[in-house]
Amino acid sequence: MNEKIKHMNQFFDNQIQLCRQQEKNLQEDDRRDEANFQKIKANVYDIFKTILTVAQKVGNGNSQSIKQFFWAKTEQIPASWKAAYEAAKLHDDTENMVVEMIKLDTIQEIRDEFLTCWEEIK
Amino acid sequence: MTETEAIRLFKCLSDKSRLQILKSLMIEDMYVERLAERLGLTPPTVSFHLKKLTEANIVTSYKSQYYMMYRLNREIFETSILEILEEKSDDADIQEQRDEEYRQKVIDTFFIYGKLKSIPSQIKKERIVLEVIAESFEFDRIYTEKEVNLMIADFYDDFCTIRRDMVAEKLLARNAAGYWRIKTV
Repeated sequence: MNEKIKHMNQFFDNQIQLCRQQEKNLQEDDRRDEANFQKIKANVYDIFKTILTVAQKVGNGNSQSIKQFFWAKTEQIPASWKAAYEAAKLHDDTENMVVEMIKLDTIQEIRDEFLTCWEEIK
Repeated sequence: MTETEAIRLFKCLSDKSRLQILKSLMIEDMYVERLAERLGLTPPTVSFHLKKLTEANIVTSYKSQYYMMYRLNREIFETSILEILEEKSDDADIQEQRDEEYRQKVIDTFFIYGKLKSIPSQIKKERIVLEVIAESFEFDRIYTEKEVNLMIADFYDDFCTIRRDMVAEKLLARNAAGYWRIKTV
């Protein structure tokens, strides 16, 4: 159990660090909007890192409970992002479409990593 | 070119990716995927930048077969920076521009895709929001209360509050026959 949590925390930390580094590089390269996209990604990783901590407390060491709690949040929270993306698409609002898509792509990456981790690590 | 337009232009240009897009469009008109491939950016990122460039009137688009092509608006670059600096703007113009920017900012904050998100607590901001809603009413026409409610409900669910506030703000007037839009000076 601890190994799974450790792996996920390591994943979040690495991704956040990577995003921050890319954000810095992009800022220095005068690409402020793209730097902001990295900030958005880092925020998503950060939110779900916190949720994993909460899941750990709620699940009280039970792997299945932690999984259920965390997985439910990965569905609940992005629901409003999906709705925002659809609304932006309907109104041809490219700026918001891109922002919501970044959030949705990031959560998909988190879900994939979480599933692999929970299935493969003992 | 007004000061606001000049600032918007310079802000839009102060981004390396957007400058590279413009450099590519100097060569020929291009579509999103072609630009993305050329510049090593994702198509959504290119679309994002093109939207900003289009809004600043730096780039225009047209449809060609299956593609939306983007073209550099060369006219905008024919104005020299000296010409922009030399342009005089009187105080009234500047104030008018500031008021318009403020108004637009309030509209962008409180409306999303034509729907009111919440009623502003500041009177000045609420007035702007109510003015936007009032624009959907025709002048010289009497509306029943039901019609007024339905029209306001297109913007916001709490139509009673909005209707009352519009009357209080003298955007709408009422008598036994119904409601009508008041002409503001």
